[in-house]
Amino acid sequence: MNPAPRELDVRPILRSGGEPFQAIMEAVSGLKPGQGLRLFAPFRPLPLFKVMESRGFGHAAKEIEGGDWEVLFTPNATGTPVEASADAENADTWPDPAEHLDLTELDPPEPMVRILAAAERLQPGEVLFALLSREPIFLFPELAKRGHQWAGNFDETRTTFRIFVRAGKKG
Amino acid sequence: MPGATLSRWTMSYFAAACLFLVIGQGIMVAGYGYPFADVDAPETLALVHVLAIGWLGLLMVGALLQFVPVLVAAPLRGGRLALPVLLLLVSGLLLLVGGFGTMADLGELSPAMLPLGALLLVTGFGLAAAMLAATLVAARPLPLPARFVGLGLLALVATVLIGAVFALVLSGTVASDFATTLLIHGVPSHAALGLGGWLTLTAVGVSYRLLPMFMLAPEEARGTSRLVWWAGSAALALVVGRITWLVLDDSAAQGPLAFAALLAGIATLLYCADVIRLFRERRRKAVELNIRASYAAFVALFLSVVLFIVPGARAAAGEGGAALVYLFVFGWLTGLGLAQLYKIVPFLTWLECYGSVLGRVAVPRVQDLVRERRSSLWFCLYYGAVAAATGALFAESALWFRAALLLQLIATVGLIAELVRARMLSSVAEPLRFPIGAPRPHLFLPIARQQE
Repeated sequence: MNPAPRELDVRPILRSGGEPFQAIMEAVSGLKPGQGLRLFAPFRPLPLFKVMESRGFGHAAKEIEGGDWEVLFTPNATGTPVEASADAENADTWPDPAEHLDLTELDPPEPMVRILAAAERLQPGEVLFALLSREPIFLFPELAKRGHQWAGNFDETRTTFRIFVRAGKKG
Repeated sequence: MPGATLSRWTMSYFAAACLFLVIGQGIMVAGYGYPFADVDAPETLALVHVLAIGWLGLLMVGALLQFVPVLVAAPLRGGRLALPVLLLLVSGLLLLVGGFGTMADLGELSPAMLPLGALLLVTGFGLAAAMLAATLVAARPLPLPARFVGLGLLALVATVLIGAVFALVLSGTVASDFATTLLIHGVPSHAALGLGGWLTLTAVGVSYRLLPMFMLAPEEARGTSRLVWWAGSAALALVVGRITWLVLDDSAAQGPLAFAALLAGIATLLYCADVIRLFRERRRKAVELNIRASYAAFVALFLSVVLFIVPGARAAAGEGGAALVYLFVFGWLTGLGLAQLYKIVPFLTWLECYGSVLGRVAVPRVQDLVRERRSSLWFCLYYGAVAAATGALFAESALWFRAALLLQLIATVGLIAELVRARMLSSVAEPLRFPIGAPRPHLFLPIARQQE
């Protein structure tokens, strides 16, 4: 089963004169595999539909009280299957990540170094989330060897690999 | 579980391969084999197989044992065969070369060494192909780079089987009409399947994965890359088909081979367009030495294939287009091999030594294991020497050829010394070199299992 959609209300940002696009994209990047995004906005965010479509999300928009709009973005079924360590059951029940890392611009093997270092800082049971530009093949066995669990897959455009790492007991 | 671990015996394959590269170039400097003997003289055959099996074959099998699991994100099947395969291939090669050497020295057939060598090589390459193919089959559907490797393995099997028939005929073990016809007409096909099918298609496939990785370029398979695969498949099928045709009719036409060469030319052009596009679309602006040295190899590939198709150029290149074959083997295959070794050996050493302590203690970067400035001089000398040696073959100057080869040998030894320094971690500054808890890599043997 897919995790419940993440909710993001951009009305306060717009009301204070801010630009919500960055916040929306950060929220999208942080979605778990298969997770949707429920967005609240003071208008029907037409340009966003196009952007989200290119990232593999469909949308359903409805008007709510006060002329505001609620939009549910759901990932299309074309996303790649989720891979996970052998002991990573119910990854959708893991707590929200304590740390987010964007490693998409780093050369291999630097992303591996950063993730292993970040995992060392986590308390047992805590989760980190990272974005990479490719599948970290050599990282997986090292995480397993250290007792960490992981789950991840490519996003719908197949250009970014998303991984959740849940720290195991300190060994 | 997905993921890839270090291949235990890959460094041993690389070490043996480098040794054969030095030996092969050394005997050329000494004036053994073409152009000091005929292209089909036993001396030349011994030399060619030291380079094709000893250097390129071991290099490629060793690299695939490590990288096929990376290409398909699944563990290697039958990994325990890696060491027996290495021993089979090395002993088979030594017997084969011994057999050719006997023919050269005594002018006699070698009844024992050639067939036995062929048997060991068929077994060794057969097992290697089976391990790699089983890994690929288990991971279907395959990404495009892995499909190139699959094609390369088919070509490897065809090459080795034809080679085994040759060995049986040359040793006098078999004297059937078909086998003799195959020996008379099939040598160019054997060479094309080995150098073009097995080594080149596999290298092309692996490069489609490694280049985007090292340059941070988009990795999705393009239409042109797929066309390269189809053209390569069709050329391979034509060559194999013509050999089968020889069984039925020993006057089989040359048409399929000419068409296969044309397809290979088209595939080369498309591939070169692909690597140029990858370079243009890279997000990493400053590229490392292994990439720059690889692009020099692409230039050699382009020149050698295009000139080979032009009849006048091929005729000027000596017996069998020897100068262009030389450029193909040393500029393209060996150049690319050395360029990738220059990246792969430090990376695998880094992972082997520091993998278990990453994130816990400060470790050097992969590039700290090598000295790029010094190595780039070696690569410049290497490619300059290859160009000079190719020119000397065109000019039919044996003396200049040997002089150029001496420089080429020196550059190769310089690069190998750089790889040894990377293995010994000699370029890493002292406080970072051996952190507590990090195993010390051996030069070319794996670390014992309990330490892993």
